[in-house]
Amino acid sequence: MHTVRVPSPLRSYTAGAARVHARGDTIGGVLLDLERAHPGMRFRMIDEQDRIRPHIRIFINQREVNSLDEPLAGADEVHLICALSGG
Amino acid sequence: MATLNAAERERYSRHLLLPEVGAAGQEKLKNARVLIVGAGGLGSPAALYLAAAGVGTLGIIDHDQVDLSNLQRQLLFDTAAVGQGKALSAQARLQALNPEIKIVAHPVKLGADNAAELLANYECVIDGSDRLETRYLVNDACVLFKRPLVSAAIHRFEGQAMTYVPGQGPCYRCLFPHSAAGAVPNCAEAGVLGVLPGVLGAVQATEAIKLVLGIGTPLIGRLLTYDALDMQWHEFRFTRRADCAVCGDRPTIRSLADSVADEPMRGACRDLKPQQLRDLLQATGGGHITVVDVREAREFAAGHLRGALNIPVGELPRRSAEIPLEFPVVFVCRSGGRSRRACELAAGAGIKEPASLEGGLLAWAAMVDPEMQVAPVG
Repeated sequence: MHTVRVPSPLRSYTAGAARVHARGDTIGGVLLDLERAHPGMRFRMIDEQDRIRPHIRIFINQREVNSLDEPLAGADEVHLICALSGG
Repeated sequence: MATLNAAERERYSRHLLLPEVGAAGQEKLKNARVLIVGAGGLGSPAALYLAAAGVGTLGIIDHDQVDLSNLQRQLLFDTAAVGQGKALSAQARLQALNPEIKIVAHPVKLGADNAAELLANYECVIDGSDRLETRYLVNDACVLFKRPLVSAAIHRFEGQAMTYVPGQGPCYRCLFPHSAAGAVPNCAEAGVLGVLPGVLGAVQATEAIKLVLGIGTPLIGRLLTYDALDMQWHEFRFTRRADCAVCGDRPTIRSLADSVADEPMRGACRDLKPQQLRDLLQATGGGHITVVDVREAREFAAGHLRGALNIPVGELPRRSAEIPLEFPVVFVCRSGGRSRRACELAAGAGIKEPASLEGGLLAWAAMVDPEMQVAPVG
């Protein structure tokens, strides 16, 4: 089970929760598990061609992720980051 | 290099005590020229701190007027300034804070046509804008004209900051190559804790001072995020993208005209004010406009415009064929963010001149129909 930190623009899908938990051996697996628990959330991050949307970045701990196949180890924390526009 | 006068030596005495600044550093600050894009929540603290720190020339770009709703977080302005132009009002406030420096007001909208001229006079840029289009334009201008950029953005209780230095690391487009405006809500749509931009704007001022002085470790290739509710900071490493459209190996953005053109769907979408939509509905009896409500079904059930179709924005790509094409299409949602995203998706799917209700049904309820029940998001 991985801790996933949710950016505020996506918290409407997690009932306001900033941290949720999800299972998966890869980032793709974690996002599918998130989708099961929070329907609609994955589409806000991943497009129809299974690419990470360009205003979303995903990090494992501090490391940037560029592929949904990126593997996860037991204690890895997943950070979902959304571009913000407010100033 | 300008030397410090007696009043300046007293004013900046706490800086002069720092070995990392000292008289030589303070003179560097006095000779520095920093441009702040946006005199808003971020620009206010950044400008106040940079003026107080003795940055010799401070440019402020903002074409907007001070609104009462700005005062909850934009500390450059007081109640008497409501209705005044922001750039000139900020200039007066900053000049009163520090008469030793030069404040240049630029009461203009930054665009592809004037960015080169504006940036030419400054050596460092702080982006405190509140529009994605401006964020990309500022980034691209800084890459093309080789200016360091300290960028920050805020949303509700969350902020992020990064620094770009030409030739030394990734740019903002390396982090977020492209953003659809509707996918990223701004403060007016989502709200913001008033003190939040104070924290991030101070980070920006700190970075600018470090860059001018050449001290410390800037946020190059590091995204700093701040969560005010958890009171937590995180740092993420990211690298330059070889395929970055502006700083990559084969850039497709070679001019600011290319930068603006990089947002192809944006120009295809129209914003409709609530009164404009009301007039259209009244003029046609509601029968010759297709209103598509892109909120979730639960929100739709709580209250919606008569005759509206409900297709949540997440389902739009596979359900766009359900939208009749014989009449103009207007997308609506709660506050205008999702409908803008829907508009861009629809324009991309070939729907001609789709429109979005500006400010969403919240604005509709405030300006046209106070009886409209607008459910919370989700």
